[in-house]
Amino acid sequence: MANRGEIACRILRACSEAGHPTVAICASNDASSLFTELADEVVQLEGDTIATTYLDQEQIINAALQTGATAIHPGFGFLSERAEFARAVSQAGLVWIGPSPDAIDNMGDKMTARQTMRTAGVPVIPGEEVEEADEALSLAALKAASQRVGYPLLLKASSGGGGKGMRAVHDPADFEQAAAGARREAVAAFGDGRIYIERLLAGSKHVEIQILADQHGRTVHLGERECSVQRRHQKVFEEAPGPTMTPALREAMGQAAVAAAKAVDYVGAGTVEFLLAPTGEFFFLEMNTRIQVEHPVTELVTGVDIVREQLRIAQGEPMSCGELLIRGHAIEVRLYAEDAANGFLPSIGPLAVFRPPEGPGIRLDTGVREGDEVTPNYDPMLAKLIVWAPSREEALQKMRRALDEFVVLGTTTNIRFLRELCDAPAVISGQTTTTTIDDLWPNGWSPQHTQAHEDASLLVAAAAETLGLHRRSQFSGTSSDEAAPSPFNTLQRRYP
Amino acid sequence: MQHMFSGKEGEVEVTLSKEGEAFVLEGHRTEMMRDGRMRVSFSDGTSHLAHVAKVGDVWWVHLNGQTFRWERIEPGSASNTNDGGLVAPMPGKVLEVLVSVGQEVEAGEALMVLEAMKMEHRIVATTDGVVSALHFNAGDQVVQGAALLELEESN
Repeated sequence: MANRGEIACRILRACSEAGHPTVAICASNDASSLFTELADEVVQLEGDTIATTYLDQEQIINAALQTGATAIHPGFGFLSERAEFARAVSQAGLVWIGPSPDAIDNMGDKMTARQTMRTAGVPVIPGEEVEEADEALSLAALKAASQRVGYPLLLKASSGGGGKGMRAVHDPADFEQAAAGARREAVAAFGDGRIYIERLLAGSKHVEIQILADQHGRTVHLGERECSVQRRHQKVFEEAPGPTMTPALREAMGQAAVAAAKAVDYVGAGTVEFLLAPTGEFFFLEMNTRIQVEHPVTELVTGVDIVREQLRIAQGEPMSCGELLIRGHAIEVRLYAEDAANGFLPSIGPLAVFRPPEGPGIRLDTGVREGDEVTPNYDPMLAKLIVWAPSREEALQKMRRALDEFVVLGTTTNIRFLRELCDAPAVISGQTTTTTIDDLWPNGWSPQHTQAHEDASLLVAAAAETLGLHRRSQFSGTSSDEAAPSPFNTLQRRYP
Repeated sequence: MQHMFSGKEGEVEVTLSKEGEAFVLEGHRTEMMRDGRMRVSFSDGTSHLAHVAKVGDVWWVHLNGQTFRWERIEPGSASNTNDGGLVAPMPGKVLEVLVSVGQEVEAGEALMVLEAMKMEHRIVATTDGVVSALHFNAGDQVVQGAALLELEESN
């Protein structure tokens, strides 16, 4: 398992269900993280940066060979979309759980992908690619291209992803600063400063199609996910099926996604992202050649275990899923350790209390538990909360209830932000677009607390201080034994 | 029972009264439960369970889907108000210093670019003023809360 955190937990559990023994790798600061408990064996990597641990290809392959592992699952992020890693894994005699290195190369470079899709007849967003590597020359070429593409526009890193190296530009006066910033971020994050320009299609939805392809020539799509609701170009609210989707549009987008996958001889699980314009036209955005963060919503509405299918496909077996059948509605929200009231800045601290909601139709994918420390070392996503219900309206109701029940103390999270998002008219009606969050809170979000709640919370804090609740245990509220004095003297305790 | 707390809106002094096992404030009541949670009865008759935890000096309270932070101020301690210094919102690295000492800046003007969690963050002037000191150079690592530079407010 060449990954960490939440996705490592998801995949290690799937392997365990399938009867495959597992090996986790971890950096020293992850030695007691949840995912290491879910593996049969753990190899601690040497090194104290991400580059010398989770991105150290040689060390990871050596760990696999030393432990007798036969396959490597890259998860998402880190090395998952590095073709040279996929190649090195195969050359070491190990199975790569993912598409071929050539397919990764072809789709991983966003500029090459746009050209491949044009050739395959898949519509791409109007825009221009700039291949120039030299900084001054590329900035000049981008500036010239920007005038042909027109405003507003988006600058994107050719090696980009996750909103890094991406800038929206509305005013030509801001172009140079934005291009330099995008380039700098791209160089820092990917070691590749090449940038391309896309027309910014206002009022569009982000709709993506999950595809699966096995080594027996079968390529299918599992329907769409809508992930329009984003902050800083990162998704926070995802659902399936799309609230405004029609069977005809699903079929057309599904066929385009299958054509995109076939154009690069794709094998495994992948996602073809589209922008759906208000006109009903859709355009290829990019293909993610790996498992996606939001895959659970598709799993809940189709009944397909995408990670288990990945394992089957990598073993050379035909995929097990049958005809596409979509049932009910699923919504996922991403819980981040971040201050939504302060520009979504990442936050750190202890998870003094971490109590996820429970009940039917609720799934939690997380890599943390109570008592863990949120550090600046890794991505601030704490958990994915996913709900399923027979209808979209009921799914939203369930999500509101679940978010109200979710208690995280000690670290600032976006839980309240997500909860208020569920009440936004655009979210209720399903008329969400990629600018929904900015439209809802143009001057930034701040929580809607009533005076009664402010006062009562102050009362609770003052009462807890008076009672000395913090002296009972380091994190009060977690240890019922200490809070309730027993009339008996327990001398020895035996647990079955 | 008097306590001083600092919240979003500034400092607040609380005087609790006690009725039996319950504490009372502004008509709201709370009582501790066996497991360390607090039962809160609002003045309008509704009732909710609160989770509480103290981390450092801060009490975190989760009540009816909302989370509040109240920092306790020890009696007699000086209040820690911000003196115009601009601090790092999180640990990271200084990518770029956009101003120099003595430079006049306007509120909202970018002063420094920080990189943290692989994202760039801009430190902007909170008021019009003059940069009176720079504490870091490009490439320096900063810890959370580190004073990055000083800004003298212009009148």
